[in-house]
Amino acid sequence: MIETVLKALFILLYATFVGFMFMGIIRIVTARIHRRVGPPIYQPILDTIKLLSKKSNITHGLIYDFGILYAVGATILAVMFIPLGSIGVLRAYGDLVLITFLLEIPMLGIMFAAMSSGNPYAGIGAQRALLTMLAIQVPLGFAIVALAEYYGTFSTYQIVMAQQVSGWSIAHLPLLLAAIAYDLVLQAMFGKEPFDIMIAPGEISLGPMVEFGGKHMGLLNIQHAIALFAETLFFSNIFLGGGVVTAFSSSVLNTIASLGVLLVKQIAVLLVATFMAAIFPRFTIDQAAKFYWKWPTIIAALGAILASL
Amino acid sequence: MEEITFKIAQESKIRKKPSFLKPWMSLKYLFKKPVTIKIPYETIEPAKNYRGFHTLNWKTCIGCNMCGQICPARAIEMTWIEGQKRPRPKIDYGRCTFCQFCVEVCPTNALGFVESYMLTTEWKEEELQLFDWVPIPPEKFREIQETYRDWKFPVERMKFNKETKEVTYYLRDGTEFKFKILGYGLKPPAAAKPKPAEKKEEPKAEEKKE
Repeated sequence: MIETVLKALFILLYATFVGFMFMGIIRIVTARIHRRVGPPIYQPILDTIKLLSKKSNITHGLIYDFGILYAVGATILAVMFIPLGSIGVLRAYGDLVLITFLLEIPMLGIMFAAMSSGNPYAGIGAQRALLTMLAIQVPLGFAIVALAEYYGTFSTYQIVMAQQVSGWSIAHLPLLLAAIAYDLVLQAMFGKEPFDIMIAPGEISLGPMVEFGGKHMGLLNIQHAIALFAETLFFSNIFLGGGVVTAFSSSVLNTIASLGVLLVKQIAVLLVATFMAAIFPRFTIDQAAKFYWKWPTIIAALGAILASL
Repeated sequence: MEEITFKIAQESKIRKKPSFLKPWMSLKYLFKKPVTIKIPYETIEPAKNYRGFHTLNWKTCIGCNMCGQICPARAIEMTWIEGQKRPRPKIDYGRCTFCQFCVEVCPTNALGFVESYMLTTEWKEEELQLFDWVPIPPEKFREIQETYRDWKFPVERMKFNKETKEVTYYLRDGTEFKFKILGYGLKPPAAAKPKPAEKKEEPKAEEKKE
């Protein structure tokens, strides 16, 4: 019992810390592509500390506070279900559909809070975010179906174990197609540039986030960090073979090594997303919906069909 | 009618085809050295004759108020200083646009400028006094600029004594620069009018302590 709680606490702390490092990496890499130096890697942590120590906090009622907590809680729950190397609290129940669903929930929580603020910009941002969410469901669903069809199971942990035997998922053509579609979808899930329509800085002044400040924004920063960690972790688990290292005799060394291997894979996923974000301009919302219902859907559907043959 | 031919570039030559692969070319900057100048650690040299703060040669200024007339922001007010026959320009950097028309128009070239341009203060009454000054002689200013080379305002602190109307500039190299203001405007101040007359014999007696 105590062990489980400690494990959960470790996963939470690790996810938050690594997530903040990921945010720092994104900022540094983007800066280097722009030929700037960029902030130090721990800058997002400082930002969050600053936000959490603000004196005045504006609130617009119960839902406004609750939505944020809902988003943070859902993200933490998602992290608990995803197998993190050999550490995992709920990994036996880590179903593909469940995790995909839990990774969508935070956006709903932010929508609750944003809509209850009554700001028209937040309303526009919420509409755009919901339409983006609607658009990414189709390729996402096909990618999940392709995976489940190929491995014959929905359990994430079993998929990771199957990849130990048969090689990484992206080595097989049907799953490679699914991975490409999923990677395009990740761009929208991160809220990164070609599909950051719901945030759209400069266009609708941060969209849902206009009204947030102080502790709300600090919590949202933490949520964003954990979500970055969870989404990259999920991708590297199901497509990049996860991190199961059994080379050492000691279990502690094995755990550390698998965490390191996972970290490298996560950073690779993150870098691809950052590159795309740095070089492509933002889509309008109708272009994004059309795009997601066209190319990623075709690719993922092809993958699903090939996997079922 | 003579026929005129215009050169018009063809649209097909100007319009570029949209491409998915070309944006990836910009990743080549990822491993190049950033072009940032890290300001607190590296310095930049302003251009020669960069239009910065003013200098005033107190010996050649004749108090003609040409600078005050041409100043587009009306930032120049003539100031009567004890021991001086003629008024001197006092420049308000809260309004000055650094166009340096006053330098251009000065008939005796008494008003000049140097390359220093940095003046930051906190929002305190006594620090905001720094924005309003009678410029110091160019030799002194250049000396301070050459010593520090950080292009900052040469006066660290100003003290204005309301009773005696005595102004003290505490310069950055530790020296003080003192004078007494008798009045403002083009007309000599009524109370102080006899003073310049009787002090005629010592016109270069600005209290300047090194």
